[in-house]
Amino acid sequence: MIRPRLIPVLLLKHGVIVRSQLFKVHQVIGNPMSTVERLSDWNVDELVLLDISADDYHDLRRDDIQQRYQGTSAVDVLREVAKVCFMPLTFGGRIRSLGDIAERISAGADKVSINSVALADPAFVEQASRRFGAQCVVVSIDAKRHPDGRYEVYGGDGKIATGRDPAEWACRVAQLGAGEILLNSIDRDGSAQGYDLELINRVTRAADIPVIACGGVGAYEHFAAGIIHGGANAVAAANIFHFYELSYPMAKQATIDLGVPMRPVRLDSLWQRREPDYDLGAEDGRLADRRARAETGNYMAARARVQKSAIRWCTCCVYPSISAAPMEFDPNGVCMGCRMAEVKTAINPADWARRKELLRAILEKYRCRDGSRHDVVIAVSGGKDSWFQTHVIKNEFGLNPLLVTYDGNNWTEPGWRNMVRMREVFGCDHVVVRPSVDVLKKLNRLAFEIMGDMNWHAHVGITTAPVRVAAQNRIPLVIWGEHGYLDLCGQFSMDDFPEMSYRDRLEHFARGYEWNYFVGREGLTSTAMVTWKYPSDQELFDIDLRGIYLGNYVYWEANDHTRLMVEKYGFETSDISFDRTYRRMSNLDDMHENGVHDYLKYIKFGYGRCTDHVCKDIRAGLMSRERGLELVRQMDHVKPGDLKRWLEYTGKTEEWFDRVADTFRDPRVWRMADGAWQKDELWKSGDAK
Amino acid sequence: MIAVVDLKISNLASVSNALRQVGASEHVPATRANVPGADAVILPGVGAYGDGMASLREQGLIEPIRVAVRGGTPVLGICLGMQLMASCSSEFGDHEGLGLLPGRVERLVADRPGYRVPNIGWCDVSPTRKGVLFPDAAGGCYYHVHSFHLVADDPAMVAATTEFSGRSVAVAIESGNLFGVQFHAEKSQDDGLAILSRFLRHVGARSGANA
Repeated sequence: MIRPRLIPVLLLKHGVIVRSQLFKVHQVIGNPMSTVERLSDWNVDELVLLDISADDYHDLRRDDIQQRYQGTSAVDVLREVAKVCFMPLTFGGRIRSLGDIAERISAGADKVSINSVALADPAFVEQASRRFGAQCVVVSIDAKRHPDGRYEVYGGDGKIATGRDPAEWACRVAQLGAGEILLNSIDRDGSAQGYDLELINRVTRAADIPVIACGGVGAYEHFAAGIIHGGANAVAAANIFHFYELSYPMAKQATIDLGVPMRPVRLDSLWQRREPDYDLGAEDGRLADRRARAETGNYMAARARVQKSAIRWCTCCVYPSISAAPMEFDPNGVCMGCRMAEVKTAINPADWARRKELLRAILEKYRCRDGSRHDVVIAVSGGKDSWFQTHVIKNEFGLNPLLVTYDGNNWTEPGWRNMVRMREVFGCDHVVVRPSVDVLKKLNRLAFEIMGDMNWHAHVGITTAPVRVAAQNRIPLVIWGEHGYLDLCGQFSMDDFPEMSYRDRLEHFARGYEWNYFVGREGLTSTAMVTWKYPSDQELFDIDLRGIYLGNYVYWEANDHTRLMVEKYGFETSDISFDRTYRRMSNLDDMHENGVHDYLKYIKFGYGRCTDHVCKDIRAGLMSRERGLELVRQMDHVKPGDLKRWLEYTGKTEEWFDRVADTFRDPRVWRMADGAWQKDELWKSGDAK
Repeated sequence: MIAVVDLKISNLASVSNALRQVGASEHVPATRANVPGADAVILPGVGAYGDGMASLREQGLIEPIRVAVRGGTPVLGICLGMQLMASCSSEFGDHEGLGLLPGRVERLVADRPGYRVPNIGWCDVSPTRKGVLFPDAAGGCYYHVHSFHLVADDPAMVAATTEFSGRSVAVAIESGNLFGVQFHAEKSQDDGLAILSRFLRHVGARSGANA
């Protein structure tokens, strides 16, 4: 018996994985390697990689993140992905000739998926099947349902009507030698409403080759229906696998529980560790090279070269296209951060009420019933958002939370007082995880030199400590504030309800640098790094540990929260302003986060926290673009005063700091002219208006 | 050193990637020159039988492989590679095989609902006895892509079977220094990588003992 398959589909656009809606809106999830490695950990049945790029060139090189991938085309991505794919791998997108197929097979694809070329020239299916074998040829069919119930096949990425009926077209390509059909519903793409079972049924009844159903999955329970009611041989989805922790094993378990005999769930591949295996010898070489370049002033960005990409700015806010964040722009030049902010603003009170009920259901599900543990963990830094979270969970929902704080030893005075007061103000138990200051100093120095960010310890500590404490106490739910990238750059949609995941933590918070990267450096041992070790997949799976973002369920506006917390509970704002932003209520827990950490973002990408905050305030309707531009011009480049503390803390000199920092300047942003660093500026460009 | 045969119609990279993942330090494309000194030969492959034999012939590998097998060198055939080890095949006309394994390659018969040829997908496999590839009763689930299957003259050579259309079909063989799997071990996740790892361990123990 052949076991039904559960297949993750990854959409590649210019080298990164995107989430898609109605075949139109694309949001950047992240780099393909971290996702594929995660899927390999989980022994997935098969993988489909679809390239939807407009052109074949991309440049994703960044000096401040750990990535082995250095390629510039979709086939380069495929070649890299194939190295960690020990399951059948299908590759599709922009295949026009038999030569294209041969190239993809030799790069590591086991099958290719073809769509437009088959519609334009059905004989191509026959030629491909004859040359490469039927098992190698998957025909992808994108179908749309018309109001009268009729279905029609669309070509050109869902844009061009073909007049063909999906069932007839499926039969035709099967006769021509296709080995499989990948059936996608255009209307259901990204909708989370479940498969179009009628469409699947029509095609599975008509064609005598395996059908992979795709499009519309929004809950794990939807998969089983595709097989049991739709008659599909395999069920696939893209978006949902990006939203939740252990999404693949959880989805599979749910499908098996509903009676579908899939291969059993397996966590933790014996052959692939979740924590990356670094080539430490090569990494030592990279670091030595950086130190040499810093010493001699040999900066990448200062070298003469051909400029291949130029910075663009969002036409609504002021966000740049070359940035530290996973950002995508729509065809009108509007960034996804603005687009998602519009969606957020359009959420009406009734929908917020619905979201609150969803939250209530989750909280009820995980609430402690026998008094053996706290109900939930709340990850708190002691800031305005932490107070708001605790206010909602403790005082609105009446739960007994355990507050968990990571202490990175960089407190501002009001930040420290706000954190310490929480257990008194809210009457909650509070665990503060306080790693050794000696280890912290080492991590500050190392991470600055390795990735141009001294706050690796903080970003990874904050995303790890609450989860560790939750796992140790068998508390299955961790409450986070808002999803940072959903808010800043519209990485997800408001109906995705993305949750915390190891992949997100490793790729976006840790920049690909896991705790084991530091072992052996400055004498750091594995035990010294315990604070930064995330619970294992098995531990997460066993207690079904989830981390939800409150911002997806309750209205979230930082300025409003601050006001409410000051009035209701006496939250203390800072009376001193930061050097690099006009906001006074953000990041009080870590003086370097708005300071020297953020200054490094400016050194690398040419913008800083002021740009971030201006964008948020423009989107919230609190600031004009002109005023924002003025602030950005004033503050983005400022070298902050907390640098002095950091240099004393780590025992380093400012000259050393500047030299190392300059090695991280992104050559796509910076150039050297007349002995000074130069870059394009928004206020001098056509995008300023 | 492990010599991996490149039939030019197979995806050699998949096998190389898998061997690297399970820690095979040295594997190189097989040539007439290196097969005689190899610790083991791996014969992967997808595609048509006749093309596979023609490629072996063109590369002058048929005799070196036969000689190596007589000398006791372990050989692992994967998918088409395992079929090529048989005496002959009836795929699109009759073809002579390497003749290492007495047996024929025949077309799968799908005469029950739910089965079709080619058989493509993940199928459960049951070991028939303990050996190198299957050290205990645990079989596993492996990725198959095939229209033909091997019928060994001596059933004792069969190491594992799968059920297809109500019949038991041999999908792994093991006899002396001859090993073969019908499924794509390199594309069968942990279970498949474990098979490759066991074969390599067997090769390592053997060449260690000879050294």
